[in-house]
Amino acid sequence: MDLTRAKIRDLRCALDEKKISAAELCGEYLKRIEEQDKKLLSYITVTKEKALFDAEKAQKLIDSGKSLPLTGIPLAVKDNICIDGVKTTCASKMLENFVPPYNATVIEKLNAEGYVLLGKASMDEFAMGGSTQTSAFAKTKNPYDTERVPGGSSGGSAAAVAASLAPAALGSDTGGSIRQPASFCGVTGIKPTYGRTSRYGLVAFASSLDQIGPIANDAHDCAIILNAICGHDRHDATSSKTAVPDFTEKLGLPVKGMKIALPKEFYSDAIDGDVKQSVLQAAKELEKQGAILTECSMPGLKYAIPAYYLIACAEAASNLSRFDGIKYGFRGEGRTYGELIVDSRNKGFGEEVKRRILLGNYALSSGYYDAYYKKALALKQEIIKEYNEIFDACDVILTPTAPTPAYKIGAQDNDPVKMYTADICTVTVNIAGLPGISTTCGYTENGLPIGMSVIGKRFDEQTVLQCADAFEQVFSPAAPKL
Amino acid sequence: MAVDMKTIEHLCGLSKLSYDEKGMEKVMGEMGDIIDLMDEIKDFDLEYDDTKDGNEIRFSDTRQDVAEGSFAPEKLLANAENTDGCYVVPKVVE
Repeated sequence: MDLTRAKIRDLRCALDEKKISAAELCGEYLKRIEEQDKKLLSYITVTKEKALFDAEKAQKLIDSGKSLPLTGIPLAVKDNICIDGVKTTCASKMLENFVPPYNATVIEKLNAEGYVLLGKASMDEFAMGGSTQTSAFAKTKNPYDTERVPGGSSGGSAAAVAASLAPAALGSDTGGSIRQPASFCGVTGIKPTYGRTSRYGLVAFASSLDQIGPIANDAHDCAIILNAICGHDRHDATSSKTAVPDFTEKLGLPVKGMKIALPKEFYSDAIDGDVKQSVLQAAKELEKQGAILTECSMPGLKYAIPAYYLIACAEAASNLSRFDGIKYGFRGEGRTYGELIVDSRNKGFGEEVKRRILLGNYALSSGYYDAYYKKALALKQEIIKEYNEIFDACDVILTPTAPTPAYKIGAQDNDPVKMYTADICTVTVNIAGLPGISTTCGYTENGLPIGMSVIGKRFDEQTVLQCADAFEQVFSPAAPKL
Repeated sequence: MAVDMKTIEHLCGLSKLSYDEKGMEKVMGEMGDIIDLMDEIKDFDLEYDDTKDGNEIRFSDTRQDVAEGSFAPEKLLANAENTDGCYVVPKVVE
């Protein structure tokens, strides 16, 4: 069976019609991983034995005629989502040997569907980065050009899907970590509304911003995964009780009359010319299909990067204070309790993680709290207000996903400021808790994918998916040649 | 340069991290650049209004305070490097 960019729904048909067994399908992907992943390093852990065991179990469900949309479908899972008995490293030396004693809620939900785990995908350490080059174990490469980054932090998940080493994957998004790698790797990824998916079992980076979501070959496959993983969870008080709709319901409906806003600040000179042109061309295509384009403004974008980094790092400094080398995680040396903690953290964390902890503690420390952290919260309120005003007059917002296509490995090394400012197109969506999807809208002259983002109102993933799907119906994606 | 050595040392104390002399120089430079970027926020002249958030967790949404089963101790201790049926740490009292 040709698995190149195979869609979940096609695999579902093949499994249900007995054209392939769950074990055979899983075996095909494992073979591809073995052959191809040496070049890409998209996985940290490949769970071969568990995958084959899961596949056997799934086959029984299929044979009994009780298959669900994800029964027997192999998936990759970002290595910051806990799976009982499977190493979950967060791509950090700190958690190199950590084996969670429980499943994240999204994993429980996937288990209920009978999915097959292929392995744990690489990422930036503790999801802090946009290149997957801060991973302590697998610095993933872009399948379209292995001298370039796959984006991040869910770079392993995006690269695995792009290279057909999994038909889809789970990622997490705190400031663009699903959408930006999806854009760099030419696949589709959605960050749901804050509260749509449970964060229970997701190793916390910034609790008010983190959200789990899928990366797949198109919006339709993303919708299928969202149907399985969303919903309230009593283990996560921030998960919403809002009713979960069928996310595939509006797929295929025309976008005629849909109002799409283009905030001018997202199309400034800071955005690469190729990127701007591709996204605007995509907007024109949607207009051709009957959508109504309007220009709008988001003045608060100017301050979005400091607002995001101050909030995210403040929360990270607090969340990562649990890593002391005592109860779990890397243990250093020391004659006293205090020395042991400092040595464990010094040796367990990488440089970017340490910088973000320092920045978070700076923003929260006495004398700086009002000037930085509280100011960032004021900005958050302003950004939410500006989004609300835009949504008073439109259904979705269209922006580039990243200012540039995938850049060369090493281009942002030792330059945290450059790394942070590259998040300008994605962070406001997390700050405002909105749903946002990235899908491919073009390629550069040298074949690098370019992504566009469709942003929607809170809990309106359906319209976001509908818009992305409408564009995907007339766009021909090109799989990478490995 | 937005930060001095004393501030970095203070932040290291709060963060339970430390650097050698060379590392300290490097991180001081990097944090200076980062804080310069963060300083842009000071131009924004609105104040935070904590009555406007509206995203707080409602008391009615929280779980009942009922004792439930938890993980088996041996399963949790399996992740600690140094155990003897409990977490072993260096002496806390000198």
